[in-house]
Amino acid sequence: MSLPTVLFVDDEERILRSLRMLFRGRCEILATTSGREALEWVRQRPVHVVVSDQRMPAMTGVEVLREVATSSPATMRILLTGYADIDAVTASVNEGEIYRFIEKPWMAQQLVATVEQAARVAMHDFALAAERGRQISLAPGDPAFASIAARVAVLDDEGALATQVRELLPPAVQVEHAADIESALELLADHDVALIVARLSSADGDVAEALKQLKALRPATLAVVVSSLRDSRLLIGLINEGQVFRFLLQPPPRELLRRGLIAALERHAQLRAQSNLLRRHAVEAPRALPTATMPGRLLQAWRRLREAAALRIA
Amino acid sequence: MHALHARLPLTPSMMTAALQALPTVAVDADIAPRDASNDADTRRGASLADLSSLLLPTEPVRPETCVLDVAQAFLDPRHAGLLSLPVVAPDGRPLGMISRYELMRVFLQPYGRELYGRRPIAVLMDRAPLVLPLATSIDEAARAIAVHVKSPITDDFILVDGNGYAGSGLVLDVLHAVENRLAERSGELERAYARLKASRSQLVQSEKMASLGQMVAGLVHEINTPLGYVSNNVEMTRATLADAARLLAAQQGALDAIMGMDEVGAATRLAEVDAWRARVDVDALHDLCELLDDTMHGVGQISELVLNLKDFSRLDQAGMQKADLNKLVESALRIVNHVLRKRDIEVVLKLGVLPEIECAPAQVNQVLLNLLGNAAQAIEHAHGRIVVATQALDRRAIVVIEDNGKGIEAADLPRIFDPFFTTKPVGQGTGMGLAISHQIVEQHGGVIRVSSKPGIGTRFLVVLPLAGAGATP
Repeated sequence: MSLPTVLFVDDEERILRSLRMLFRGRCEILATTSGREALEWVRQRPVHVVVSDQRMPAMTGVEVLREVATSSPATMRILLTGYADIDAVTASVNEGEIYRFIEKPWMAQQLVATVEQAARVAMHDFALAAERGRQISLAPGDPAFASIAARVAVLDDEGALATQVRELLPPAVQVEHAADIESALELLADHDVALIVARLSSADGDVAEALKQLKALRPATLAVVVSSLRDSRLLIGLINEGQVFRFLLQPPPRELLRRGLIAALERHAQLRAQSNLLRRHAVEAPRALPTATMPGRLLQAWRRLREAAALRIA
Repeated sequence: MHALHARLPLTPSMMTAALQALPTVAVDADIAPRDASNDADTRRGASLADLSSLLLPTEPVRPETCVLDVAQAFLDPRHAGLLSLPVVAPDGRPLGMISRYELMRVFLQPYGRELYGRRPIAVLMDRAPLVLPLATSIDEAARAIAVHVKSPITDDFILVDGNGYAGSGLVLDVLHAVENRLAERSGELERAYARLKASRSQLVQSEKMASLGQMVAGLVHEINTPLGYVSNNVEMTRATLADAARLLAAQQGALDAIMGMDEVGAATRLAEVDAWRARVDVDALHDLCELLDDTMHGVGQISELVLNLKDFSRLDQAGMQKADLNKLVESALRIVNHVLRKRDIEVVLKLGVLPEIECAPAQVNQVLLNLLGNAAQAIEHAHGRIVVATQALDRRAIVVIEDNGKGIEAADLPRIFDPFFTTKPVGQGTGMGLAISHQIVEQHGGVIRVSSKPGIGTRFLVVLPLAGAGATP
């Protein structure tokens, strides 16, 4: 089996030299300090994974990865950066739809494992696309996808977000409101939920943790998060362990929320149609839930959801 | 206590000055109930808005009262503190004022007492005394007295209400009232000033924090980048060295086997050596050396950044010392480097030969950082260029920082050093940066000047005396 091609973009040559050495023999390595050159390469040849720095002189990493997503949707995208403010991390999710957000200084083994995992997924998708003689389609395609009677759960202790989501989506989409995690889990156990929209308002992390666990159990259920916390660490966790699909700061701009919801429903439909795509949303194993301290009702809800998931797989 | 009034060496000019010093803006004050007791301390302590608090219920004399009787009235202990007695018609109309001074003048003349003693007081009285309505404010009274007063001060004044004569008032009491109000106001001013100073130093602090916050974002990135390859290189070095150690051990084992003529053992050992050689060879070790060079470079870069940060964290140590302005410029440039690089801004350095200057280096650093940061922010196009020039000129050091950014509107130019004035979008500027820079330069005995053309660029000029704040720039 041939080696995957991995492209590194960083304005510091020494980073590139170091990465080249780390990945020697593991993959075909391309490395450049120029975002433009990186995009040229991605257009000209199959590149399975792009690993880019964020802060670079001419083009930011998010800009590079967004362009990569457009010109080669099957390429997996990873941001490897020394510092990113919340705006950059938000953009990396919403525009770059990245697979992982990795911070410098990185752990060598973890980086290698992540890149290799991404490369395997991408090689599979590239091969599949070659078989079918066309590029894999991840771009929003058939609008009919979104119009199917999907079910959306809104986890919001106040309810205003649920109302807004209901207004923004076509009437065919069933929007259910869950005021707490238990009711959300019950909803998920009983129904096929395409999309969960969650409001993050406190730092205790319960909702964020639940979203991560959920992704491991229900990879096809996409998450849109509306957060009043400008916390980039929280968001990085949601990317790597929760594959959050969109992240919006409270109050979410109406049009942005609408487009995010529609894109999520489309992606969900694609995931249902081509289950191999699910691997593109694989998550790092989230920390185990602190079951010992969990109230009985919540524990019950998780158990039910797990059983339901097991049934579905069987 | 009353005698004190008469002894005070007051001159009218002193008083006029004191009275006119009163601010013209009226200050609301509580009106205390009118104090009927003739107690000077209470009156003096009063700081009230109108004259009713100063009213003395002095019994007036009639115009027909004879001079000797009036002189007798002056001897009444109740009148000891009065300079003059009011002369009032039976219907309450004030007619004049007769002063102790005037009586003394008459009695001191030869036969004055005999000549005037039996005559009505109306012939001696001042027919144009100062008459003030009770409702007159202290401020107005003070102004009226300042206009009316003569040297030496010989008269009090008459207070009237709707029914005519109400009593008399002492110039000195007005003066005390004014004094109290001034003291009160200066107390207020002092408190306000203290509050202002406190909030200002808070602002200076928050400006410092805001600029630090922006800097930290860049610095974290600047440090994590070398840290990224440094730690990766070290980790790879460790792995390679472990492989190299195993290779060495395998080679040693093979050599021992060959020397011991153990052919079977030698064959397996040599196979082992081959296996390890696939993982580590001379080329790998050569690459390793290159990685270690990078590592050294990265560590150097990190320590340089940390050093710069350390310099910067000494902002509060305003101690004056000899410093090389060119070095300060270079260190400030290193700190803003990430911003400049991110925006692809070219920096043109024209550093002249400068003697060391006496300054607070951390503060000068803050000024330079602020000006450089502004210059970078002003550039919105792709061909950014910042010229930084230094020059010594006649016991002064000059720094010029010039950008080709969007420039400052002529209407905004006069205000850019004002606190809180900012043209940056909300959340991007505190509006304190230039105000603080201005203050720092002034404290150094220097000047800061700006010229700008919208669409062309902006030039800041900082002039600092080589010898520090003592010298004139």
